[in-house]
Amino acid sequence: MARGTSAGFDRHITIFSPEGRLYQVEYAFKAINQGGLTSVSCKGEDTAVCVTQRKVPDKLLDPSTVTHMHQLTQNVGCVMTGMQSDSRYQVMVAQSEANNFKYRYGYDMPINVLCRRIADINQVYTQNAEMRPLGCSMILIGYDDELGPCVYKTDPAGYYCGNRACSAGVKQTEANSFLEKKYRKKTNYNHDETIQLAITCLMTVLSADFKPSEIEVGVVSKDEPKFRTLTEQEIDFHLSAIAERD
Amino acid sequence: MATERYSFSLTTFSPSGKLVQIEYALAAVAAGAPAVGIKAKDGVVLATEKKHKSILVEEHSIIKVEMITDHIGMVYSGMGPDYRLLVRQARKVAQQYFRTYLETIPTTQLVQRLAAIMQEYTQSGGVRPFGVSLLICGWDTDRPYLFQCDPSGAYFPWKATAMGKNFINGKTFLEKRYNEDLELDDAVHTAILTLKESFEGQMSSDNIEIGICNAKGFRRLTPAEVQDYLANIA
Repeated sequence: MARGTSAGFDRHITIFSPEGRLYQVEYAFKAINQGGLTSVSCKGEDTAVCVTQRKVPDKLLDPSTVTHMHQLTQNVGCVMTGMQSDSRYQVMVAQSEANNFKYRYGYDMPINVLCRRIADINQVYTQNAEMRPLGCSMILIGYDDELGPCVYKTDPAGYYCGNRACSAGVKQTEANSFLEKKYRKKTNYNHDETIQLAITCLMTVLSADFKPSEIEVGVVSKDEPKFRTLTEQEIDFHLSAIAERD
Repeated sequence: MATERYSFSLTTFSPSGKLVQIEYALAAVAAGAPAVGIKAKDGVVLATEKKHKSILVEEHSIIKVEMITDHIGMVYSGMGPDYRLLVRQARKVAQQYFRTYLETIPTTQLVQRLAAIMQEYTQSGGVRPFGVSLLICGWDTDRPYLFQCDPSGAYFPWKATAMGKNFINGKTFLEKRYNEDLELDDAVHTAILTLKESFEGQMSSDNIEIGICNAKGFRRLTPAEVQDYLANIA
């Protein structure tokens, strides 16, 4: 067995290190935290939700144009966490793939198929030296007529899987612990409970009380399978409900 | 989307004559989840551990033991994303063969072609070897087949083998337990016991996956069937 030093390039391009790791992929994960944001996503009995912070760093920026939630197909949306330019690119690719699928096969691309496709594209970047992995993680939510509400996550390593709840970004570990505790006890949250769970999770791990303008919430549900983002009034309704509960 | 490729290979010889990128790829495989394959008289079984790091993950959203054709199945140890690419390529290869010859692809042919693809990635410009070892099982010409494909592009026919974490212990266990007269049921039983050797925690139908291949073709066992086998070893 070769026990030796690398040629020195394993940190620069996606080739194996002596331990069998891909350093560039690991660094890409760190790049996700550069944005300083956290996103949380969870699903209940018939609803799937994703929540993320909306930090507008400059008063001169038009806040309505600052968004990390994007619609991919009619019933599938996503929240992007990580480097903004890479995120934008990945969304563009996802929208393009979803549209191609619709054109070729005549029906909407299911969320799990779309997520797998994005993950497969991410895998190519981990194997070809000339392209670096993208520094962003995509969490997709959708209402599928066969699978019900779905939450899927893909990352720079090309790994993907379906989740009951997941998170990405700076406070990922804390958010996941919070969600694990909640889901150990109960998994069949109703519409309002699911939304409030996601918001509460974000509030807890960031130790912050949000104003409606400081977060974005994306929802799909059985009654309204079309992906949409909540208006400020609707967010306010949920924030008040959370405050009243506590 | 793809730009100009590097025109030189990243996998080059070291002064001692080794291809270190391949050795490192094997290290990635050895760090992967355990997988076991056993050939019986009347079929082949593939089994793998499918542990998830969190209860938040949906266990059945991801499948590790994948069907390639009606009569060929595959499992891996190592990097999941690389495996998905190989599953895709294997399925394509199988369909192309059918299109050319109007015959379902023999297992040996599929293995040879897949191994050739894996070898390409050790020599082509700008790419790294696959970080997976594959276990391919098949049934044709009235007999079972079990092959392993390595990141180097080498392939080996096996009677029984283990890959991934603790594979040495797994192989030792199999050497003691294997005999030529195993029936498929016994083989599944033995496969589960082999996985159990290195399994931390309680085995259930949610954290292992089993596939069998016999004269009727390849299929994954349902969680209920897996549960039955697990009940028998308890």
